[in-house]
Amino acid sequence: MESMIFDMAERLFRDHVSHGLREDAAAGQCPEALWTRIEEAGLHMALVPEEAGGFGVPAAEALGLVRIAGAHGLPLPLAETLIANAVLARAGLALPGGRLTIAEGEVLQLERRGGAVHASGQLTLVPFARWADRIVTIAALDGADHVLSLPVKDLTVTLAQDLAGMPRDDVAVDLDLTEANAAALPGSMGGMRGLGALVRSLATAGAMETILKMSVEYANDRVQFGRSIGKFQAIQQYLATMAGETAASRTAAEMAANSYDTAAFALTVAAAKSRAGEAAETVGALAHQVHGAIGYTQEHALHHFTKRIWSWRDEFGTELDWTRELGRAALSGPRDTFWHFITDSTAQGTPT
Amino acid sequence: MTLTAFPPPPPGADHDDLRQEVRAFLAEELADFSPEKRAKSWNGYSRDFSRKLAQRGWVGMTFPKEYGGHARSALERYVVSEELLAAGAPVISHWIADRQSAPLILAKGTEEQKRRIVPRIAAGELCFCIGMSEPDSGSDLAATRTVATEVEGGFQINGTKVWTTYAHVADYMILFCRTGKSEDRHGGMSQFLVDLKATENIQISPIIDMCGEHHFNQVIFDDTFLPSDALLGEKGGGWSQVMSELAFERSGPERFLSSFALIEELFRLLREDATEAQQAEIGRLSAHLMVLRQMSRSVAGMLNEGKNPALQAAIVKDLGALYEQDIPRLARSLVSRPAVPGGRDSYAAVLAYTELAVPSFSLRGGTREILRGIIARGLGLR
Repeated sequence: MESMIFDMAERLFRDHVSHGLREDAAAGQCPEALWTRIEEAGLHMALVPEEAGGFGVPAAEALGLVRIAGAHGLPLPLAETLIANAVLARAGLALPGGRLTIAEGEVLQLERRGGAVHASGQLTLVPFARWADRIVTIAALDGADHVLSLPVKDLTVTLAQDLAGMPRDDVAVDLDLTEANAAALPGSMGGMRGLGALVRSLATAGAMETILKMSVEYANDRVQFGRSIGKFQAIQQYLATMAGETAASRTAAEMAANSYDTAAFALTVAAAKSRAGEAAETVGALAHQVHGAIGYTQEHALHHFTKRIWSWRDEFGTELDWTRELGRAALSGPRDTFWHFITDSTAQGTPT
Repeated sequence: MTLTAFPPPPPGADHDDLRQEVRAFLAEELADFSPEKRAKSWNGYSRDFSRKLAQRGWVGMTFPKEYGGHARSALERYVVSEELLAAGAPVISHWIADRQSAPLILAKGTEEQKRRIVPRIAAGELCFCIGMSEPDSGSDLAATRTVATEVEGGFQINGTKVWTTYAHVADYMILFCRTGKSEDRHGGMSQFLVDLKATENIQISPIIDMCGEHHFNQVIFDDTFLPSDALLGEKGGGWSQVMSELAFERSGPERFLSSFALIEELFRLLREDATEAQQAEIGRLSAHLMVLRQMSRSVAGMLNEGKNPALQAAIVKDLGALYEQDIPRLARSLVSRPAVPGGRDSYAAVLAYTELAVPSFSLRGGTREILRGIIARGLGLR
């Protein structure tokens, strides 16, 4: 089953996500036809349980789609829709179909008004909000996490974008939600920041694998001083460094994906997002160094990937946010030694 | 791109019961070890400790039972290894034999060699050293000059090995040398099992390192006779045999826990009262270590399945050395306390030891430059 979904996604993205499509998307054009194909393949439902319409694959495998989407620089909210549907399904809310996105909801004010819940506040840098039908978010009501499903047509969207030209809109929220659009979130998924950080870590790992592959190909093909530049040790050292950072980022992201919806998630996702964010600096810088001037042009595809990894590190918690969180957990936790903190933090099924 | 894929260790890899047993054992055995002594863990030599560990069944864990082993998984061995290093136990006496020499003998040795040697390794009784580097052959292993000439009943060895860690106390050396001329740079190499205690005409002399300590040796073979049953594996097959050892040698927790005693000292000092900046740096250390450990355990899982993850092991070692070498700089950026060799303040003493130890981390077991060359070729550079 794993390879079936992976093969399907890989083929779909390889055939349809071109440099031109990424350019058009960065210029503001939503790739509607590609989204239709994604929905027809059912990829957007991969993370929901089988009884809610999913494939019944383990979460870590479904989340692998995000890495593949990252590897192709997919300019659509597939990762966001995967998470949104999973959260809606967990809360027992209807899965509305269409493109969904996610936002950190802690900034919203919620209050009960009659039979409804009134939500108000300002969501910032919401991924793909203008292309989405709904924003799914998690916020506290009566001291418990609640899932909110906000119809974008009832919100005020102010356009903004990230480094890669992808929509990151500011959204003013002021509306009443019925039971159909607000419900308690049971279980241990945590807030939207962690879930968003998970998908950004996975996408970053995928994009880095593409950046690395492009850099190796360029080093093999580009000839200077009568030989491929990949023959020079300086270039080899750069590429090996990129490989190490990429491997670490992918391992970190997959470690978090493997602990999705368990108690270990809070710390593994902190490690994943901060490690991938740090690696984005090195991998991006060295890829541009290897590619030389041509990699700094709009014509070359490299920038779509380097801009994405640089943008993603700022979303759903920066390296500084996540390392502080980890450091606090280590230093203020109950464990007497750093080693016990480390072994417990990644233990399978051990409460943190 | 498989080179950047590190599959997660198999479910149940934590082996928590085993971990707690090892911790209890170490708490007792190392009760009077100072932090400075713990900092020397991997270089700490104690035959007595290795024997006690073996009595608990924690040496030779992965070897088959018929050779004195315990037929446990590489992941169980991993739990013991990392607990030993994190606690700063003196492990060198059995470490090399347990890590790579016994697996090599089990894979390539004769039945007689296996029965004679492996059970004694599993009992913690044998210390091994590795005779690879030479004065003119450091990173360039193919430049090996030491030569074994076939003579009646065996081989005559001539040549010099250097940087041979603990040769002065070891029982055996796995010697890598030339047995023939070959057009191919990698051909004509072989490995020998040298009984250092029973062989004549071997001269072992110390090379003192810059910390003033004696770990390294120069080992001179001068018309040294080895019986034919000292040949380990195939004559002329030495190069590929050595290459298959490297995944064992390069992927373990000793490749990123070498400065761990200093991290614990730092943790102790910051535990009560840390600024946000200090918290973030401890968090960064945590993130890196969690990930390195996952990568290293992934390699252990691959080894357990009989794969040869040499490239992934090179990545673990390269990243691991960067991590452990950065710890003194990081400590100095967070705490303003001078390093004092042998100082009464344990932080100061551990910092001093670690500062002087770190340059070796990206030299031993394959230099950073060599590892990165291997990784680059693995990426498909032509």
